[in-house]
Amino acid sequence: MQRKFIDYVLGFLAYAWLLIACVIVLVPILWMISAAFTPGRLLTSVPLIPDPTRFTMEHYNFIFEYKSNAAQVLADFPGAFLRTAQIAIINTVGVALLSTLTGYAFARLRFTGKKQMLLTMMVLQMFPSFMGMVALFLLFRTFGFLNKPNYLALIYMTGAIPYNTFLVRGFMRNIPKSLDEAASIDGATPLQILRMILLPLIVPIIGFISISAFMTPWLDFILQFRFLQPENMTVAVWLFRTTDPFNTLFYNPLRFMAGALLIAIPIMIIQFFMQKYMVYGLTAGAEKG
Amino acid sequence: MKKKKSLFERIKNIFSDVKKNPDPLKSAIMSFFIMGLGQLRNKQKSKAAVFFSVLLVFLLAELLTGNYQYAMDEISRFPADSGTPLYFFRDYGGMISKGLWGLFTLGKVPGQILYRGQFVETFNKTIPWLTADNSVTLLGTGLIALILSGIFLTFWLMNIRDAYISRKAHLRGETIETGLVYVRRLWSDMFPYIVLVPALIMILFFTLIPFLFSFLLAFTNYTYRIPIPNQLIKWVGFDTFKLIVADAGWFKIFSQVLGWTFVYAIMASASCYILGMIQAIIIESRYVKVKKLWRTILIVPWAVPAMISLMVFRNVFETNGLANQLLYMTGTMNGVSSFLYGIGLQGALDNPIFWFSAVYNGNLAKVVVILVNLWLGAPYFMMLITGVLTTLPKDLYEAASIDGASKWQSFQNITLPLILKATVPAIVMTFTFNFNNFGAIFFLTGGGPRWDDALIPMSMKLSGGIPGQTDILISWIYNLSFANNAQLYNVAAVYSILIFAFVGFISVYNLSRSKGLWEED
Repeated sequence: MQRKFIDYVLGFLAYAWLLIACVIVLVPILWMISAAFTPGRLLTSVPLIPDPTRFTMEHYNFIFEYKSNAAQVLADFPGAFLRTAQIAIINTVGVALLSTLTGYAFARLRFTGKKQMLLTMMVLQMFPSFMGMVALFLLFRTFGFLNKPNYLALIYMTGAIPYNTFLVRGFMRNIPKSLDEAASIDGATPLQILRMILLPLIVPIIGFISISAFMTPWLDFILQFRFLQPENMTVAVWLFRTTDPFNTLFYNPLRFMAGALLIAIPIMIIQFFMQKYMVYGLTAGAEKG
Repeated sequence: MKKKKSLFERIKNIFSDVKKNPDPLKSAIMSFFIMGLGQLRNKQKSKAAVFFSVLLVFLLAELLTGNYQYAMDEISRFPADSGTPLYFFRDYGGMISKGLWGLFTLGKVPGQILYRGQFVETFNKTIPWLTADNSVTLLGTGLIALILSGIFLTFWLMNIRDAYISRKAHLRGETIETGLVYVRRLWSDMFPYIVLVPALIMILFFTLIPFLFSFLLAFTNYTYRIPIPNQLIKWVGFDTFKLIVADAGWFKIFSQVLGWTFVYAIMASASCYILGMIQAIIIESRYVKVKKLWRTILIVPWAVPAMISLMVFRNVFETNGLANQLLYMTGTMNGVSSFLYGIGLQGALDNPIFWFSAVYNGNLAKVVVILVNLWLGAPYFMMLITGVLTTLPKDLYEAASIDGASKWQSFQNITLPLILKATVPAIVMTFTFNFNNFGAIFFLTGGGPRWDDALIPMSMKLSGGIPGQTDILISWIYNLSFANNAQLYNVAAVYSILIFAFVGFISVYNLSRSKGLWEED
């Protein structure tokens, strides 16, 4: 009898905890959605209980139509969206290619300085890229890469290589070496082994790497803010502009919510569908060894 | 294992070797002066060609980027002023010599002065040496020149060593490998490096050079107060390090920021870990049905991009944001405000509450920063620990319950240690991540609230670069590098070195701790 009572209490506590947690998780998100469809620019006018009948598309009209003087062909936001998408695609291809190659070298090839090189790479990546940004800025100016969005992918790629190399290496080490050796006896070159035997087997980790690489440019702000002029603005810069109280022309927290929603939703969908890969990738580095 | 000979012994061996048989030394000396010459003497033509072309490329790179052809004529027409010397490599050197000159001197000729009787401009299209020295550019190009020279030096040493060893083998009557075989062996030895070259070049340019550059800046006097290129920056040794420690006011603010950085990193990681574990255990417990639904809702914060949720929370804690509105709506504003005041988080009995904007609310802002981070970060650990929980061996629990262990005891002695063991690397990773979690501060509070003016030392008021109360080291560094009239690049560089040393140490320790990670199979 007493046992049952304790079970009852514990069950109640568990559900109460989860319910409260869900409320805390969801309230800011609902508020964000509600704000995105509220007219004007005052946070106080956002209703605490979303009322779909009073929603307005005001901010979305602005987002899709407003062209500042600096804008070239497209309106500000769509232009920023396309530029960011370009960076994202270049970054994805580059990161997938480079991490596969380097991961392969570290997993399968023998050479001196291997351990030291991997360790150095892993340590150097702990250094956030903006710490060396004075130098990066100079380098970009010397090479003529400033104000050209696509070249930013170079920096993102470089930042992503070490950790992804580590992941690919870990994944490849779980593939039996006898496969390579058999192919090598049949006369396959190392690159053929990589392409025809290992590549099909490492698709899951490449999937994770590609998704993370694709998402990076949407969420990085500092580099894009510092290296690009307003006419080459990206989504993150657009978003930040709307939350900067000193930018009197563009400051509008409600418009920020509208734009943020537009970016957050696709990313959330990707994350949910790719959950298995994402969790695998995030935990792989942590659990291996 | 073979014991390595000491360097001294190895040198002694070489000397006695040479004494016995001086002939290979001749090849080595020939290669010392002209790369490939020794190899030619050893009758290894293709090898000689390989080494000689390395020399050629290096020399051409220097000569073609220099202006040596104008030197004779111009020096006689524009001699050095009396009193100031003529900097030959500055005026006529190529990328290597001029680069190294710039790295050592950081420039000698600023803009708006007379040099060799001519007026120096910011940029002179026709006469390169009338362009003012830009110390920052010189530092960058100097770094690249240094690295290129290092690569060349490696080849040069390889070439000398090879000339000596090949000759010796030849004299011993061994067949020396022909150049073609050498090239082929080189290719197969080099294959791993060739695969790595694209990544390594990118890391060299976009990680290593910027890193070294910011490392070197720590030893200069470069701040926003130096108008480049009309003024030069200088090497000042450890002066900046001294300034930070010796100036009591600076040091006090610095230690406060550093202390908060540690508190933040520890609290943020620990709170996410504990909450994540509690949620995982609750969801996996037998009391909860439809586990999948709960899990899906609770990982939503993880799926929302961090930058966006942080900026949303910035709005939530605006004075007229969601937080205050909720307090008003539920009629708890006065109660909460006086509670926060009572426990000392709020400095005044405000209504509404100024979460991130009032000078006296520093502690409140810090608590909120940690709570927001909890919202963002707990789901990751929840998923990680859920994963661990599903792999726990069932038989252990059965054995424990047979031995009469209570639920709590088996949790304490089986579940907890197993979870901890599996997640230690993840905890360390999260800690180092949070230590450098620039976004969590920059997008959320922007460093605010400000410090009370009375607490700021005079030296910092004069120099600029004052941090906010919630600034952690990395977001302060951002201000010191980019905020207007606060760019103390040298101070930022010193702090960067500190962070790097600390975080680098932890991550090396974390990575090398697990032996399985490095085993070669």
